[in-house]
Amino acid sequence: FKDDLSTSPQLFTPMSPYDVDLPTQTTEDVLFHSQFNQPKELPTDFSSVDLSFLPDLTQDNKEQNLSDDGCEMQKELDGSISRYEDSGIFIDESSLSYPDASQPSPEISGACLPLTPMTPMTPVTPKSESSGIVPQLQNIVSTVNLACKLDLKNIALRARNAEYNPKRFAAVIMRIREPRTTALIFGSGKMVCTGAKSEEQSRLAARKYARVVQKLGFPARFLDFKIQNMVGSCDVMFPIRLEGLVLAHQQFSSYEPELFPGLIYRMVKPRIVLLIFVSGKVVLTGAKQRTEIYEAFENIYPILKGFKKA
Amino acid sequence: MAAPAVCPGCGSAALVQDAHYAQQQLVCAACGCVLAEGLLTTTYTDEEHLREVAYSQSTGQKEQLSRCLQRGIRRVQDLCKVLQLPAVFEETAVSYFQRALQHPSFHAVSLEKKELLGGCCVFVTCRQHNWPLTMGTICSLLYAKQELFASVYLSLQKELELSVPALSLADLVKTHLNSFRLFQHAADIPAPFVEDKEKMITRTMQMVELASETWLVTGRHPVPIVTAAAFLSWQSLQPPARLTCTFARFCKLAGVDLPPPAHLRLKELLEILLRMASQLAWLRVFKMDKKTVVKHIGDLLQHRIFLLKNAFCREDEEEQRALAEGSPGSAPAAGGAAQEKDCPSKGKRQHEGSPRPLLPPCLIHPRKRLRTAAPSASDSAITGDEPISDSEIEQYLRGPEEIQAFRRAKAW
Repeated sequence: FKDDLSTSPQLFTPMSPYDVDLPTQTTEDVLFHSQFNQPKELPTDFSSVDLSFLPDLTQDNKEQNLSDDGCEMQKELDGSISRYEDSGIFIDESSLSYPDASQPSPEISGACLPLTPMTPMTPVTPKSESSGIVPQLQNIVSTVNLACKLDLKNIALRARNAEYNPKRFAAVIMRIREPRTTALIFGSGKMVCTGAKSEEQSRLAARKYARVVQKLGFPARFLDFKIQNMVGSCDVMFPIRLEGLVLAHQQFSSYEPELFPGLIYRMVKPRIVLLIFVSGKVVLTGAKQRTEIYEAFENIYPILKGFKKA
Repeated sequence: MAAPAVCPGCGSAALVQDAHYAQQQLVCAACGCVLAEGLLTTTYTDEEHLREVAYSQSTGQKEQLSRCLQRGIRRVQDLCKVLQLPAVFEETAVSYFQRALQHPSFHAVSLEKKELLGGCCVFVTCRQHNWPLTMGTICSLLYAKQELFASVYLSLQKELELSVPALSLADLVKTHLNSFRLFQHAADIPAPFVEDKEKMITRTMQMVELASETWLVTGRHPVPIVTAAAFLSWQSLQPPARLTCTFARFCKLAGVDLPPPAHLRLKELLEILLRMASQLAWLRVFKMDKKTVVKHIGDLLQHRIFLLKNAFCREDEEEQRALAEGSPGSAPAAGGAAQEKDCPSKGKRQHEGSPRPLLPPCLIHPRKRLRTAAPSASDSAITGDEPISDSEIEQYLRGPEEIQAFRRAKAW
């Protein structure tokens, strides 16, 4: 079972001059300031930053580094990638991984890191991070306040698409065909609308339910419409080693095969929960905005690529 | 204690019981020497009987803990004793339990859940020390429903922010095999079925490692895999005597449960082994089936790295071949050429010996599912503010005759 990743902690201690245990530090800080214990400010202007000392990595070297070293680092890079995007430089995480155990780079271990000009090597090529896969929204849950007391028995009697079983649940369950959604309508006038595939569809569906309630004779209004939860899903098209992922990202992941076949990844920024399965399918939930789902997927995709092979 | 008859200082026999402030003293009336003093006691009754009060009783520590907490702690300690865990685990589990019970989300849950909470604390402690304890074991000890245990465990992990490392399969193999009864001679076990424990553990570990490499373990319940691997290892250690024994009979003799998924895991393991056997030079002449391959498991496990590479088309090898094809000058060595031969194309899967991609079973046999169509252009043009026609709404309302009919039928 000795995955490559289980040996990565040992790879760090003797070799790396960088301080790995500072999760709040960004890549630049880790590379330049770890030996000087400087404050954790991120330099927003990258024009002065000299990255030419970083080794140019070949294809296999890059993949090996990704699986050995890059995973620890990607944890720290996750939070900072969105900041990089602002300045327009996309730094490929794989090329910023730590030097391989077999090739110590003496110039980096020197103490005067940012001051002495390094032997010029091929500079890091900024690459686009986009994975090319767009998660598809599967379900939107929204709430709205109709602002009037409702007689649920009356509604269930006079509407065709309503079901009401007070012993089981204290709300009317109403369904419409277009957009295909379900609503829970409570006696207080609050309503939950589920099943829509987009925010606009959810809003349209909620308005239709409000119109039905209006036509049934209640003075329904349409107040405080809010999207409460969005669920998306996609497929990364390769199998994933969940055991390796939970070892590398222990504080974010929960993988209990006895309970559930997928790995539950709680991303901090944005606050999204991802269900990652061995087949490569990913479910993202907990978003209030569509962009959170896209951002979460762009954050997880490089991590998953690191666990593509055994 | 018996009071001395004479004073050690002056020898006089005039001893008087006197009280200095509130302390009783035995004093010599002649010289004033104090022979004995009252002890410091904590309860009036003990003072009257001149008995010492034990420290543990006098500190009042027990009174500070609520009865529920005391009972829970005792339960946790009992669980640790039953599982024969080291003393350190007991302390850790008890401390987790105390922390959890003080947490607002667990303070007022039902007694059933509080007992499960104790079990969860023991479980978390074991996992943190890499002690291979499965949830199934704890649930059976507590007579708990697995779903309830799962929910309590997940909320405990979240509230106390515990990091629980993953279950180590290697340790689980050793622990699970410990409960098998096949390592000693017994009345109901035929002689050829008894096996040496060390050999069985080693071979089962190798099988489980093989299963893990070929994607049979990820996402699946671990115990059925270990059981299936143990069965195959046991059979392969003495094939002539044991090939006729069925899986169910094996589990009954060993005294373990046969979990339902274990049959499927057995089938999957055999399929992997058959594919590997097709790549072993001296086995290629034989027509292997799932009975005969068991005899050669020893060889297959010994050369498993080489066989896996050849039997299964790995995706990265596809990429490397594509790269190699791109630059014909630097053609890879014999390895690449051999790959060309063994890995003709992913499309050819009918031929028995041709390698298949090394993928999890869920990707190789995907269940046909109705895929909802991607949102069409008309769907994406919805703004949410479109006008809603009356006729569309009216289709959802009942007419007056309908309402009358329903009223009569349902007697609202």
